[in-house]
Amino acid sequence: MFFAVSEAPVSDQQTIDAALAGDQAAWDALVTHHSGRLWSVARAHGLSAADAADVVQGTWLRLVESLHTIRDPERIGSWLLTTVRREACLLSRRTRGERLVADPAAEQADHNPTRADLAVHPDPALIVLTADEGRRLWRTVETMHEPCRSLLLLMATAPDAGVHQLAVRLGMPSGSYGPTRGRCLNRLRTMLTAQEAQP
Amino acid sequence: MTTRHPPAIDDESLVAALRLAAGRDPVPAHVLAEARAAFALRVPGASTAAPVATAVPAGVRSSEEARLLRFTVGALVVELEIVPVDGLVDLAGQVSPLPEAGTTVEVRTPHLTESREVSATGQFAVTGLPPGWFSVVCRRPGHGPVVTSWTRIRP
Repeated sequence: MFFAVSEAPVSDQQTIDAALAGDQAAWDALVTHHSGRLWSVARAHGLSAADAADVVQGTWLRLVESLHTIRDPERIGSWLLTTVRREACLLSRRTRGERLVADPAAEQADHNPTRADLAVHPDPALIVLTADEGRRLWRTVETMHEPCRSLLLLMATAPDAGVHQLAVRLGMPSGSYGPTRGRCLNRLRTMLTAQEAQP
Repeated sequence: MTTRHPPAIDDESLVAALRLAAGRDPVPAHVLAEARAAFALRVPGASTAAPVATAVPAGVRSSEEARLLRFTVGALVVELEIVPVDGLVDLAGQVSPLPEAGTTVEVRTPHLTESREVSATGQFAVTGLPPGWFSVVCRRPGHGPVVTSWTRIRP
């Protein structure tokens, strides 16, 4: 399956146990393994590089305080992704000017995904992307019609471009960019689902 | 009657996958360095005090207003009042129930740690903190350390 719901246990139990025992090298291995995905997820929520850095840092700080309660190497990836998504959603809502944040503690109250959360609601953000799957994803995009093909390519390869810049480069009004992007993502999702259905 | 299907991948996750595979937005070196450095902030044997909702007077919204955060684990409550001052943050704390003599706190950001003795009435204060992530370690004689869950103070 393209987007696996459970992650391959690349962070093995030994690594987790060593980190819990205070082994910095083991922690560094976790950082190396998971950082790319955490960064991509934070940036995919439309955060600037500075805000994404803030969100990713907070996610690792939360893992430091929670690692002993997680322990299970198969759950660490999903825990990290769920945490980074929540923080990225909070911050992107805020930077869009929705400052209706009455109580920081209330929004923080559920910030640590519990065992039950993860068991009952497997997080769709679990992006397990090997190099092969990444190539397959882009081969699928290559087969799409315009403007989807160019739009997705530009969106993914110009990470700091704003909506106006992207719209100009695609030759469409700024107001069309969002809805077109939504349609293209839907189309891509449908194509990927169809691929999964075939053996 | 509910059949479990894998949930459909949402827009953000699909965009994240495309960007990850495109490889054009690598993780900046300082983000990796901060992630590695986070490990030095672990407090072995500590229990984590989780945030609980606090009542806020209706209509209080402005970022210039004081904010009250409350963290609990077991019977221990750590309350933090956060006051933004000129782009920095003053923090006044209350430990309850009244702590034994010799109780100390460390107010930590990823880059600095301020240690304080807690007063006989359970209070402590730190001024001029940078906005960003922070956590408080509470050390009571005869108890294991308690850390408040990392929380972001925004400017």
